[in-house]
Amino acid sequence: MSGTPATFEGPVLSTRGLSVLAKKKAILDHIDLDFAPRSLTAVIGPSGCGKTTFVRTLNRMVELTPGLSVEGSVLYLGQNIYDRGVNPVLVRRRIGMVFQRPTVFPMSVFENAAFGLRLIHADEDEIDREVTEGLRRAGLWDEVKDDLNRPALSLSGGQQQRLCIARALAVRPRVLLLDEPTSALDPMATQRVEATMQRLKEDFVLILVTHNVGQAARVSDRVAFLHTGKLIEVGATAEILERPRDPLTEQFITGRFA
Amino acid sequence: MNSTPVPGNPGDREPIPSSSPPAVSRRAGVGLRQRIWQTIPYAPALVPAAIVIAIALTLVSASGFHNFGWGFFGLTFNSNLNQFGMLVFIVGSFLTAVPALFLSMAIGLGIAIASTTYLPPFLAKILDPFVDLLAGIPSVVYGIWAFIVIAPIFGTLINPWAVAHLAFIPGFGAHTSQPVSPTTAGTGLPISIFVLTLMALPITTLLIRDALRSIPRDLWESGLALGATRWEVVRRVSLRYGSRGIWSAAFLGFGRAIGETVAVAMVIGAATRLPVNVYDSSFTMASFMFETLDAAYGNSVYLAALAELALVLLAITFAVNLLGRRLVSHIYAEEVPGL
Amino acid sequence: MATAVGSAAPLEASEDLRRGETWSIRWRTGFDRWIGFLLPLLFLVAIVPILDVVYYISSKAVPTLTWGVLTSTGDYQLHDALGVPIESTFLFVLLATVIAVVLGLFGGVATAEFLPERAAGWVRMSANLLAGMPSVIVGYFGYFAFCLYFGWGLSFIAGVFTLSFFMTPYIFRTADLAFSSVPRPIREAAYGSGARPTQYILRIGTPIAFPQILTGVFLAMAIGVGETAPIVLTVQPGLLVPPTLTSPATYLTALIWTGFSQPPSVALTIAFQAAFLIIVVVLVLNIAVRIIAARYRKRLEGLYQ
Repeated sequence: MSGTPATFEGPVLSTRGLSVLAKKKAILDHIDLDFAPRSLTAVIGPSGCGKTTFVRTLNRMVELTPGLSVEGSVLYLGQNIYDRGVNPVLVRRRIGMVFQRPTVFPMSVFENAAFGLRLIHADEDEIDREVTEGLRRAGLWDEVKDDLNRPALSLSGGQQQRLCIARALAVRPRVLLLDEPTSALDPMATQRVEATMQRLKEDFVLILVTHNVGQAARVSDRVAFLHTGKLIEVGATAEILERPRDPLTEQFITGRFA
Repeated sequence: MNSTPVPGNPGDREPIPSSSPPAVSRRAGVGLRQRIWQTIPYAPALVPAAIVIAIALTLVSASGFHNFGWGFFGLTFNSNLNQFGMLVFIVGSFLTAVPALFLSMAIGLGIAIASTTYLPPFLAKILDPFVDLLAGIPSVVYGIWAFIVIAPIFGTLINPWAVAHLAFIPGFGAHTSQPVSPTTAGTGLPISIFVLTLMALPITTLLIRDALRSIPRDLWESGLALGATRWEVVRRVSLRYGSRGIWSAAFLGFGRAIGETVAVAMVIGAATRLPVNVYDSSFTMASFMFETLDAAYGNSVYLAALAELALVLLAITFAVNLLGRRLVSHIYAEEVPGL
Repeated sequence: MATAVGSAAPLEASEDLRRGETWSIRWRTGFDRWIGFLLPLLFLVAIVPILDVVYYISSKAVPTLTWGVLTSTGDYQLHDALGVPIESTFLFVLLATVIAVVLGLFGGVATAEFLPERAAGWVRMSANLLAGMPSVIVGYFGYFAFCLYFGWGLSFIAGVFTLSFFMTPYIFRTADLAFSSVPRPIREAAYGSGARPTQYILRIGTPIAFPQILTGVFLAMAIGVGETAPIVLTVQPGLLVPPTLTSPATYLTALIWTGFSQPPSVALTIAFQAAFLIIVVVLVLNIAVRIIAARYRKRLEGLYQ
């Protein structure tokens, strides 16, 4: 890459020919996708289609699973995150992740949210600011503001998940990956998280893995359908869900929707 | 009461239905026999508790409620003069067990973290049993090896080095009057600490490793996903998550260290006064009790004093084991011998 | 600070993935790599002593061990003759194991099968306390209780009982664990079809739990062979073999204890040889345990249809 780009036009995140192989077998097969600023893309597909593996390649978490090899490229602001000189620590600050189960640390609410900031040795004022901001964006601020020191584990499941979102946001990423974030939550909590996602997509790039087509319909702008590791279709939510072009897509959607 | 039998791990199933209705046992005569019959299956389970109680009671009665007064915790020990101050030995126990605890916890933490975080799984699986094997070597075998092989290293290399370089720390200077400390034989406190560290290491490593392994995988990954290095996730999250197991490792490791008898007896030398520096010979409660019993044959006061010392050691061991076990969720730590 | 995130707007320095790596990040990553190299080295703290102990003892003992030495029943205090100590130790461990099994096996099974939760918790705690007792305290108990109060003196029988008390909790625990880990479906099926407790234990539980209990017995024996204090404190060294119940008797570990600090002599040689034999026995027992455990695992997998 030549020189530091002062600005960057184009998709914040994109993949080119992204493949993931396990012992010669392709778990992901040449995925090309772009993720534009201020969008929420839902990645859907039957179980085993590789959607979780896909998002895990976007922040280099796929490297944690032994035996997998990554081919192709993932471009963050035009730079390949898998380049030799790139430190995953840096990548993960910019591309955050929320997991399926709420994974709050055994600390106070404040310390959870401040976790990423403490790693980079931010000063106390900055931490205060970003923690507050993150909690606000996650839609959790009002519920915890009177006692930020309470243990995070004393929160309800939905609150914990929003805390995980706040925690990821506090380090100011541009992209937020969400791997089935509501599958462990009850309907009420799910609704709050979906509302949060809708707010967040105005400022961030959100990539949401979900097995719930209804959820994709509710919150996403674009939908990408994966099947056995291949990208079958991608397009605007309304288009894909109402007028799918590929029979596989239609099969999946109608099977889930009905 | 009819409950469904549900086995699994010790501690999570319900008792089986009894084989006769309870109402019968209330009738006189027949009832008594039935009740006795019903309790028979349970009786063997009381054996360990009975032995523990028997041990405690035996020692209490052996000490004959002899009133040694506070002199028991005094510093002078001279059996000929009927002076039985045991403080020296209590101090000796702590002087060896506490540093050994710190060392074995530090090393155990390092090994456990390496094993769970940094080593590839196949390598960890090969290396982990070596630490457990350390527990399989009998105490007396450690002792002879340490006495013949390791003590000279302490005597000719380590202790003199420490005297030469660390004398500015109080206690690390050499004592050249009678008795000379450190000796070239190398016996005394330092090698005892070395031996105790090795003997406590299997317990601390095992328990810490279990504690670290209990962390859910996605919690671990969440830490990494926030831009932390593996070390940072371990330090900030895993250690906190597994803190109960780590504390229990400390308690149980300490219990092991303070109870160790024979290996220590073989390398700690002998002294019935407080150590003059960190290299000096000493006695721990356990090693003293072990070596001195035959000197006390026939002397009922002497025996009573020793029995009381045994009670002190027993009380400490009980306290430490109770605290340590309560912190661990599973009742039995694995099948490592010596646990 | 940061500009509006998410927009195609001016980048922050850290968003240049190549050059954005601050000194701080490089340091943190480097530290992590170094720790990842140094911490595994700590394994050497455990590995080197084990290897050295085995190597050293073997190198001192093997050259002097002949079949004659092992079988000679001469006076081991004068000649290098291990026949008496070996046989004596063997009898010690045999009898102590039998008693320990009687004491511990039934209790362990009872705890796993009969006891309500709270009682089981207390019982297990007491087993753990017993296992955690310093060997010298068990030895003292043996001396006061068996040698003095029961009046057996420093005799073979006193040592056998003391040793057996020391070994009991390990057998107890393994029996408890073994029966507790009988797969639920099997246990439920047995009781569901009307089996009485004795029937279940004898016909179903025992065959399944037997391998694990056997490993427990072997492990207890390995511990028993290596113990010193319970024997030395309760038994006077002796030459009689087989020892009668009230006679003195000797033990391999006792020979190490008396011989280790001697100048090179028969006593020292015997000490090394005894240490070697003990290591061999412990090793053999441990290997047997692992073999049993491996085959048991396979068998258990077959139970889960």
